[in-house]
Amino acid sequence: MAEHSGGGRGESAGDKAREEFFSEAQEIVDGLSRDLLALDDVCRRGGSDAELVNDVFRAVHTLKGLSGLFGAAMMSGLSHELENLLDDLRLGRIELTPQVLDLLFQSVELYGSILTAAKGDGPEPAAEVKALLAALGQVAQQRGGGGGSVIAQYELDPGLLGVLTEYEEHRLRTNLQAGLSLYRMRVQFQLATIDSALDDLKAKTRPHGEIITFLPTGEGGDAESVELEILVASREGLSVLGAAVAGPNVTIEEVRRRDAAPPLKESMRPPRPTMSEMPPPLPSFAPPAAMGTGIPEAIETDDYTEGTRTSRPPPGGSQTGIPAAAHSLQPPLFPPSQPPGGPQHGPREQQQRELTLRSVTQTVRVDIRKLDHLMNIVGELAIVRSAVSRLTERVRLDAEMRELATSLTRLHRSFDRHLAQMQNGILEVRMVPLGQVFDKLARIVRQISREHDKQVNLVVTGAETEIDKLIVEELSDPLMHMIRNAIDHGIEDRDERMRVQKPAVGTIALNAFQKGNHVVIEVEDDGKGMDPAAILAAAIKRGLVTEAEAREMSTKDVLALAFQPGFTTRDEATSLSGRGVGMDIVQTNIAKLGGVVDITSDVGIGTKMTITLPITLAIISVLIVEVAGRTFCMPLASVEEAIVFEESMVRTFEGREVMTQRGATLPLARLGKVFQLEGHRAGVWFNEDAKTPVPPPVRSTRPKSYVVIATVADRRVGFVVDRLVGQQDIVIKALGRSLKKVRGFAGATELGDQRVGLVLDAAALIAEVLAGEGGRQQPVGMSGEVVPRRNGERALLGPGERGDNIGGRGGGGAPPRGGFS
Amino acid sequence: MRGLSRRIEGRSAMQRADEIGKRAEYLAFTLGQEAYAIEIGNIVEILKPLPITEVPRADPDVVGVMSVRGRLVAVLDLKRRFRLTRTFTMDRKSRILLVDAATEEIGLLVDEVLQVYRLSEAEIEPPTVLGTEQAPHVVGIGRPVGGQVLMLLDLAPLFSE
Repeated sequence: MAEHSGGGRGESAGDKAREEFFSEAQEIVDGLSRDLLALDDVCRRGGSDAELVNDVFRAVHTLKGLSGLFGAAMMSGLSHELENLLDDLRLGRIELTPQVLDLLFQSVELYGSILTAAKGDGPEPAAEVKALLAALGQVAQQRGGGGGSVIAQYELDPGLLGVLTEYEEHRLRTNLQAGLSLYRMRVQFQLATIDSALDDLKAKTRPHGEIITFLPTGEGGDAESVELEILVASREGLSVLGAAVAGPNVTIEEVRRRDAAPPLKESMRPPRPTMSEMPPPLPSFAPPAAMGTGIPEAIETDDYTEGTRTSRPPPGGSQTGIPAAAHSLQPPLFPPSQPPGGPQHGPREQQQRELTLRSVTQTVRVDIRKLDHLMNIVGELAIVRSAVSRLTERVRLDAEMRELATSLTRLHRSFDRHLAQMQNGILEVRMVPLGQVFDKLARIVRQISREHDKQVNLVVTGAETEIDKLIVEELSDPLMHMIRNAIDHGIEDRDERMRVQKPAVGTIALNAFQKGNHVVIEVEDDGKGMDPAAILAAAIKRGLVTEAEAREMSTKDVLALAFQPGFTTRDEATSLSGRGVGMDIVQTNIAKLGGVVDITSDVGIGTKMTITLPITLAIISVLIVEVAGRTFCMPLASVEEAIVFEESMVRTFEGREVMTQRGATLPLARLGKVFQLEGHRAGVWFNEDAKTPVPPPVRSTRPKSYVVIATVADRRVGFVVDRLVGQQDIVIKALGRSLKKVRGFAGATELGDQRVGLVLDAAALIAEVLAGEGGRQQPVGMSGEVVPRRNGERALLGPGERGDNIGGRGGGGAPPRGGFS
Repeated sequence: MRGLSRRIEGRSAMQRADEIGKRAEYLAFTLGQEAYAIEIGNIVEILKPLPITEVPRADPDVVGVMSVRGRLVAVLDLKRRFRLTRTFTMDRKSRILLVDAATEEIGLLVDEVLQVYRLSEAEIEPPTVLGTEQAPHVVGIGRPVGGQVLMLLDLAPLFSE
């Protein structure tokens, strides 16, 4: 990664605020998406979750507020309509159908494109927003009634019913319809302590039920105390709930159901008008006209989560009918005109405020470039540390300074430890859970599977696995392509699945886990698998391989063809995939991150693609090796082991060097030869004395060489080097644009003494060696070939991969596990 | 660059008065026997040679990569680029001009840095005086009063490849 100077660029306050807006909005949209997925899940299991709907509602409400502040008109318009829809949802005026969920998911996508457009990275999705708004309008017209008859069956004081907010009424109805019992508590509160006492009571009640509402009774209070009537819906019996809330000033009773209401009586009570009978819902900007009908205004808290918002009054007349009719049946507990005291919404507001404050203060958004900058400073400190270490050694040699040396060593050790902690700390800050990108994918799976009319279940494990933020950013596109492919090419349609006796719903598993210094992500489907014969046929048809080449290829090589640019088995592209772009991009993108992609597939059973990635791009441990006087760094994550090399170990096999290691064939590559180093130029031009540089002496007779065995995924190559220098943690930096095309290096680092050490790209070098420099991609070498390509070299790839040539037969047994080259 | 311009600021009042005229400032340096100059705005810093690490497989005119206060900088051997000499040399007078290329800073290895010239339009000849077939990076011939002949370079074509 390139180095960035730590923030010298002066941003105006406005820019900064806009940045904040974008990132905050993005965060809210991400949260929204998560909630919707959870809701989708609940919904599919046939349930509902009022709290989730509320969360979604809150998110949209906040977005509306934010976008209003920043003049993002399109966003605020969309939010406004969504808010209406969600309000209808949480009040039960419309049902949460898959269609409604679709609209909500679409809105998440649209928020995404609106934000991108606002940043100037894309076109404004004006048409899409318009379409969605129209669709939202249609849904709004389908509002159905909630029916109040359930409530009517309970011996509830109509005066009380009269002052319920629409939301409270909806919750009451839902709970009663679900068969819960209703309890009425009367509690005396001291005015001085009412806030905390009420919170206490709420906490006690929560495990057992839901508090529908609380209102002052207007009785039993005096100057210092107030009595509240609290309605609680609970599954539990009176004794349980009573025990939970028991206190000196608490009385609790069950609100009984009226005995099977005689039809006559029922007819005397005008049933609650259903929504369909009501006048069309008021436009949301209508003045709160219904407010004054004897309902105490104080009930209308501005707490949008629980109370009815003033901008959207309850549909007219709904609250006036019942009290009027019911008054004659039961004397009111308290006159409706009694102004309730303020306390009942005080605690709510306070709670709300505390919640928001907390969420604001506990997280900080940091530009990743600032972390890069800090990381560079740590890198510099590491260099200082090694210089101090050398000095300490020198001091130690002086007999007179022994005491000083001891203290210096102690200090140095402490410095060392703290530096390591700091390094880890910064690395940790850079780490984010993969869940960030998985959430996006879950949305895509839902969308694609609906578009394609295939039922797909996404099973995610390991979403908490952490990886460098920069890697996460780059992962979403490749993963999206892989999942599209899995749905489009992998999962069969329903009829086909039934025919082969698979579950009708396809499964895509997205698994992530940490493996040493790597993170492994698997995308696995239970679809039809990849047929090597079909792939080969398609590849030959598209001229990617010749028939002669095809006969030489192992199953693994054939599957790897899917990563070739322009490869597709489809004759016609679908909207999803099949255009022949995609999988090669997947490989390119993953390779850029220093990772590899492997495919395994069983025909009829499914396909598994495995991505192996380094955990971080910033700091890595390397093994420093020396070849022909030059120093190179091999990422330790890729080093399996290093052993002493003897020329006698080498066998040549069709012109390629291999050795046997632990009973397995290990392809060898002499790093000096790979890089054409022997007798070439000097490695480092030292110029401390400003003299013409002397190339470091190239040892003609090597007393000892070593084989560094490097592995990436399941590919192994032994690199022959002259000397092992040691192990070091380094800050890896990208080579500039002018050196980007040079293959084989992942970057470079400062090794101390101002010397730069090149960091080897193990994955690329291994692939290069195994491919025998491939023929498809010529290395940007200084001259000539690196390793001559020979036919039949595939047979060298290792045990278990041999003799798997399917080219001629076109059959394909069980493909071997592992990668491609 | 700041140090350099300060030095220029410190020069005589007469010379400073010259700035009012239409003059551009060029830094002159040598490559082998020939003198070249680059417009001073392109130059970020003039460095004494640092250890440079060879990059295998890089283009032949890339000397290698060095670290300038923690930043990696690729160093180009201009002599090799201009095919002036086949052997690469670096000695006490050698300098690395750190210049702003399109997206990164690049070091240019030169044999010796001469001085800064202010050239008026009258002191610059078009490159065509050397013939019609001139490389795109040569934008003119500078002939400062009392100075030597300078090949004026434009950096953009050098890095566009």
